[in-house]
Amino acid sequence: MNEPAYGVCSCGGKKRRGLLESLVFGLIGVESHSLEAETTSVLPGLLQRFDPRIKVVALLALIIAAVSTQRLTVLALMFALATGLALLSKIRLIRLARQVWLGVFLFSGIIVLPAVFIVPGEAITHLPLIGWPITLQGLRSAAFVIGRAETAATLSLLLVLTTPWPHVLKALRSLGVPAAIVAILGMTYRYIFVLTQSALQMAEARQSRLMAPLDGPARRRLMLTMIGTLLTKTLALGTEVHAAMVARGYRGEVRLLDDFRTRPADWAFLLAALGIAATIIGARL
Amino acid sequence: MSGTAFDFQDVTYAYRSQRALDGVSFSVQLGERVALLGANGSGKSTLLRMMDALCFAGGGTATALGAPLSEKAFEDEVANFAFRRRVGLVFQNPDVQLFNPTVLDELAFGPLQLGWATQRVKDAIEATLHRFGIAHLKDRPPHRLSGGEKKRVAIASVIITEPDVLLLDEPTAALDPKSRADLVAFLAHGLGDGRTVIAATHDLDIIDDISDRAIVLSEGKVAADAPTLDILHDIDLLRRTHLVFEHHHRHGDGHEHDHPHGVHGHIHQGPEG
Repeated sequence: MNEPAYGVCSCGGKKRRGLLESLVFGLIGVESHSLEAETTSVLPGLLQRFDPRIKVVALLALIIAAVSTQRLTVLALMFALATGLALLSKIRLIRLARQVWLGVFLFSGIIVLPAVFIVPGEAITHLPLIGWPITLQGLRSAAFVIGRAETAATLSLLLVLTTPWPHVLKALRSLGVPAAIVAILGMTYRYIFVLTQSALQMAEARQSRLMAPLDGPARRRLMLTMIGTLLTKTLALGTEVHAAMVARGYRGEVRLLDDFRTRPADWAFLLAALGIAATIIGARL
Repeated sequence: MSGTAFDFQDVTYAYRSQRALDGVSFSVQLGERVALLGANGSGKSTLLRMMDALCFAGGGTATALGAPLSEKAFEDEVANFAFRRRVGLVFQNPDVQLFNPTVLDELAFGPLQLGWATQRVKDAIEATLHRFGIAHLKDRPPHRLSGGEKKRVAIASVIITEPDVLLLDEPTAALDPKSRADLVAFLAHGLGDGRTVIAATHDLDIIDDISDRAIVLSEGKVAADAPTLDILHDIDLLRRTHLVFEHHHRHGDGHEHDHPHGVHGHIHQGPEG
């Protein structure tokens, strides 16, 4: 299969992206998603005001409640609560739909699709042509899986969109997550941009020298070469970063500055979240 | 402050079979400002890393602040701590040095690793942010900063612990003219008296401002060790060590001549040069 050259439309209508062009757009997308998250995390919304430690615990409690509930109505209410929190935190629903809801629906939908047909129960209709029964119990099971996944993903994303990533890391450390894990998460976030930039430059350099469309094997070779080069760069960067850490006194234990302040509103939010979670789990709702 | 900061005698170092330092000998006294000059691959970055105890001599003897610079000596936590407290290295690539999620965390990293109390760390951060004019950047992630800002933060993140010895690897690399001028002014006048500064560079335009003495490295050996101005006037030495090159030059009046040229500008030998 021929690879359309950059900027050249081979389909006579809508422009199709080539391998490198897709890669470049994808890498730019990583940067733009991160920029968006950094922007929303400082908006004057509801969740942005809370102490990150409180937010981590409260949203985790709500996630546990959402995946524990036995009733679809309660799950729907939890989803509505997550959506309401998003709105009050000035997160646009179209963004949630694009970044979470659609992807989660498609992914979990594919996984639970067989359940719609194979869970035994009362058939409410049959598939045309092949006649497979769609059972009420199967639909309920599918709705539970999708609803739980959507609610949990929405609440998780709310944490990331309303909290600067460094504060999430500090909150995790304050809550007892081992320093090594927090340091790894922090550096992953920090260096993913350096490596993304490096990959972007490599892709652009290749693209600028691409004279003719690439066939399948050539494209695969190109990708493997880029991955190999990036891996080598990653190892070199890792060695250098470790040296930079040692040079500033690192001896295996990362120490962080913890300067969070908890106010009455934080405690109220935490109590409300824990209350909802305790009610749902305790009363088996 | 008096005493010897570094004493290297017949030091060698090799990356596998490739020799990077070959019998290097020199001493640096506390309070001196030294430029390590050399073309790419001359061994100056390796030497700087060795001075910061990130790699150790394969042969010869090296001491820093009166203590041996050896792998065995640095296995001792107390010796390691005492050294890190007094010596700071600014890496050439700020992306290597700025590994924390925000500028504020970057500044806090060194003091926290050295065990400073929280309030002392906060006070030092506040003072350093203002000293370097980077208070507006404190919550920014380093990957969103410009090259000049990154370099300023990288130096601030080392200076915050007030090391007696400051090592800089190519401090002006990849900086725009304004950032470069600001950095040179800071290194020349902003560090205060008494601090030992050793900068590895091949940027001849700045060494007169930031150093009083220059050590020229060539192919892993010390090619010269003299006052900076003497080195700058030794055109043959600079040409031999690839720090300047012959440049054919045409003036606006049609006059043409050849003269040595550094990375950023002309090296004039005299009125006729």
